[in-house]
Amino acid sequence: MRFLSLVSQHRVVIILGLTLVISALLVPGYLSASTLGLGLDRAATIGLIAVGLTVLLISGQIDLSGGAVFALAGIVSVILQREIGILPAAIVGILVGTLAGAINGMLVVGLKVNSLVLTLATMLIFRSLAHWITNSQPVTGTDIMLSLALAKIYLDVFTLRSVLFIALIVLLHFWLTRTIPGRNVFAVGSNPAAAKESGIASDRIVFLGFVFAGTLAGLAGVLQSLVTNTGSPVFGSELTVAVIAAVVVGGTRLEGGKGSALGTLGGVLTIGSLTIAMEFQSVPAYVQQVVSGLILILLVVLDRAVTTKGRASGTRPALVRDNPITQGGTT
Amino acid sequence: MIGKKSMLHVAAMAAVLASTGWASAKTVCYVTAADSHAYATPANKALQARAAELGIEILSLSQDFDVQKGTEQLNTCVARKVDGIILWPLDPQAYIPGLARAQQANIPAILINSPMSDDAKPFIKSFTGPDVYEEGKLAADSLSKALGGKGSVVIIAGQAGNGTTIGRVSGFTDRLKETNAEINVLDTVNADFDQQKALVVSRDLITRFGDQISGVYANDDTMARGFIDAWKEANPSKAAPPIVGINGQKDAFESIRTNEMYSTIVQSPVEDGRLAINTMAEIIEGKEVKDRLPIPLTVVTKDNVNAVEPAF
Amino acid sequence: MEIGGVNRNDRFTRGSRLVDVLSKAGLAFAIVAVMLYGSLVSPAFFTSGNLLNVLTSMSIVGIVVVGMTFVLVVGGLADLSVPATIACGAILSLGLQPMIGPLPAFLLAVGLAGLIGLLNGGLVGYVGINPIIATLGVGTIGLGIVQAAVGGVIVYGSNPASAEFAKGRLFGIPVVVLIFLVIALVGHFVLSRSFWGRWTLATGGNYSAAEASAVPVRAVKAGAFVITALASGISGGLLGLTLQSARPLIGGGYEFSAITAVVVGGVSIVGGFGSVPRAIAGLIFVQLLTNVMVLDGVRTPIQGFLLGILIVGAVGMDAALRKRGVA
Repeated sequence: MRFLSLVSQHRVVIILGLTLVISALLVPGYLSASTLGLGLDRAATIGLIAVGLTVLLISGQIDLSGGAVFALAGIVSVILQREIGILPAAIVGILVGTLAGAINGMLVVGLKVNSLVLTLATMLIFRSLAHWITNSQPVTGTDIMLSLALAKIYLDVFTLRSVLFIALIVLLHFWLTRTIPGRNVFAVGSNPAAAKESGIASDRIVFLGFVFAGTLAGLAGVLQSLVTNTGSPVFGSELTVAVIAAVVVGGTRLEGGKGSALGTLGGVLTIGSLTIAMEFQSVPAYVQQVVSGLILILLVVLDRAVTTKGRASGTRPALVRDNPITQGGTT
Repeated sequence: MIGKKSMLHVAAMAAVLASTGWASAKTVCYVTAADSHAYATPANKALQARAAELGIEILSLSQDFDVQKGTEQLNTCVARKVDGIILWPLDPQAYIPGLARAQQANIPAILINSPMSDDAKPFIKSFTGPDVYEEGKLAADSLSKALGGKGSVVIIAGQAGNGTTIGRVSGFTDRLKETNAEINVLDTVNADFDQQKALVVSRDLITRFGDQISGVYANDDTMARGFIDAWKEANPSKAAPPIVGINGQKDAFESIRTNEMYSTIVQSPVEDGRLAINTMAEIIEGKEVKDRLPIPLTVVTKDNVNAVEPAF
Repeated sequence: MEIGGVNRNDRFTRGSRLVDVLSKAGLAFAIVAVMLYGSLVSPAFFTSGNLLNVLTSMSIVGIVVVGMTFVLVVGGLADLSVPATIACGAILSLGLQPMIGPLPAFLLAVGLAGLIGLLNGGLVGYVGINPIIATLGVGTIGLGIVQAAVGGVIVYGSNPASAEFAKGRLFGIPVVVLIFLVIALVGHFVLSRSFWGRWTLATGGNYSAAEASAVPVRAVKAGAFVITALASGISGGLLGLTLQSARPLIGGGYEFSAITAVVVGGVSIVGGFGSVPRAIAGLIFVQLLTNVMVLDGVRTPIQGFLLGILIVGAVGMDAALRKRGVA
């Protein structure tokens, strides 16, 4: 029991460590700076969206529209390049993500509807818009040299994307653990009613959470479109599931109130390094699916086994142990 | 059975290794469209079997029809410092930066199965495989012939935004314009290469246009099947208008024999896979290759249906 | 105890009869409006042939909708493993035909799909894992195994008689429609008239209260996922038999279509409220609307766009009528 809960608390580190050790043993040439750089870059796209989703999940909401926003923002940033130049177009692209997030947030808060259903609907809307404005054809940017420059690898390890991702994770970590608004997110997610009573503007926090998630999906989409010099209405269609899996592997709960930025970093890196290890060994895609599905299920079962033991049924999940705040305590 | 096969591979590999020496084993990165797909799977298998004969090791990465995944997998290939890259592109542009990085690393790359835009030309040594645009043109000619150059047709297209769909639809419509055929397109609908979706959209098309439909062009045989079934439901006793498909599947051959379909176009996945790896092997050996190496496309109608092998 | 985000007040006891009548009337009104509009824009719309088409087209997904209704009502959010269970049903019911005959193949296929549901149900009902994660994970694993098993190629049918049966008609009505109607009736009876249905509603409405009044909440919750998996297995089997071919990705998108129909029908995503007829009314509305848009020549992306807005409108209206708390 004690062992299990220890394992559970550090499970992201353990699973990441195991992945790396097993990969290093089985895959020749796995442990190298270039693999690390590769892993980070692979993790960055998923990771940027995961940063936004982490905040949303902690606040008790979910966003399924991230993949569609990713495509839409990228398309806008490419289409506008000819009209207003590359940098302004990129900014407008990111703002499209912000706007999409604001729409999600406004509808969830304003209509008081479940975010799962709502973002399922807006996913359809944003994806259809992406097909609509491009007539279902990929669109091409103006400057392919920029794409090459953006994908440049620094110090053998870092790309612009991966640096941005790591920086955002660090910032998010401090924001969630050291600031009052950050802690309020946990309060809203673990008990909305109590949070409201203690004076936290939970509607505003939820709304801003969606705006944040939308902006980051937009940022990831714009970066992807710049790096590939292409905007396509089919980009990101498989992304949402991967992002949710990464965040949950990192220990964030769909029920809200629990999660961390560093956990998400671990989850994203685990998925990234696992994918690369299996690709190095030519493991077929469907076997890769089975492996990642199993890891996901095993981790949540472990999480559940540990948290349900030792507390009476009918109480809330044990949040207090992992988190400095008690429910709705800080304002 | 698998054991036997891999034994064969090992034997073949050993033979090649014995003749060339251990040191020269080359690795080629193969970024395929998907591992689990009616056309891609036999193409992958053929490519790998041929690679084993040639003593080339294949690093096989599946995009699972996700372009973004593929662009990242190109980076994996470059990082693995492979001796060559065979890419199955799913988008005309998005892979160019990745191909450029491969070129910087002196890794030769070729395309299999689907084309990319002309901007990609400086970065690839060759493009092997069927020409989806050409297939669209052939389909247009075939349907034109069936209709005597006159009529109204519907197009049942694959996935919106997919490279094969774009090529097969624009090849068809461009060719109709080019030949000044008096054939107008009533509507183009997407059915995602899915038989059930094709069945549903076909029901609607039949309700909407009824007898106006004098011909049908489906982006693949699976969707052509969907239209045939919908037509039989609506008009059990009336013969369907001429239907043209692509791919040369077994059941399409049956349909052509029984007059349910007018034609299909055979492209062999096995040829597709073998040609790509053969070409890459020549490049690695330092030989010059042509920048476009097509695999044969055969239009199959009732006249030659018994003389041609179905693709899968 | 909070499972799957369900610890809401029991709305189903709050005087919701008026709300119920209003939202039922709303849906009926919407269906009539679509039919009127359809008859205006296309002379082909209001023909028995076209309406029968709509009915046939919706039958396959309709069977899944019946199961999904149980999942939503019990507070299980959604079952995202539907593509895997449909693929399991379609591929096995065709692939096993040569070995054991068409009917045993069909039954075995449905049974194995049910096993996937049992796994979902165990994880959600007994272990207490969030349904989204559990069904996503199990679905991914299931689909991976199915793909590995058939090596990714198309599986063709080998028994023309079973195909004829599945594509045929009885009393002038397509067989798939009849099967759908039977399943819908059984589902409706179970949910509205049987003890299991009462338990399902009670568990979804207020989990701890139901537990306190000796409802086997875990089994009821797990059962909803088994029901959905069995329904999807049947749906997949019929799909395979009518098409006479099956590939691993045959069931893609059905989970979202089913959820859309149930939600548009006004079944609450947080559980405790809903019925099979409502879900099917939602399905009819969505299908008629799509049919009208296609007949009207509306392009595919615009159809998707409008459908998305429709879902937002439907859940928004439902929420406004119900004045529920923060979801």
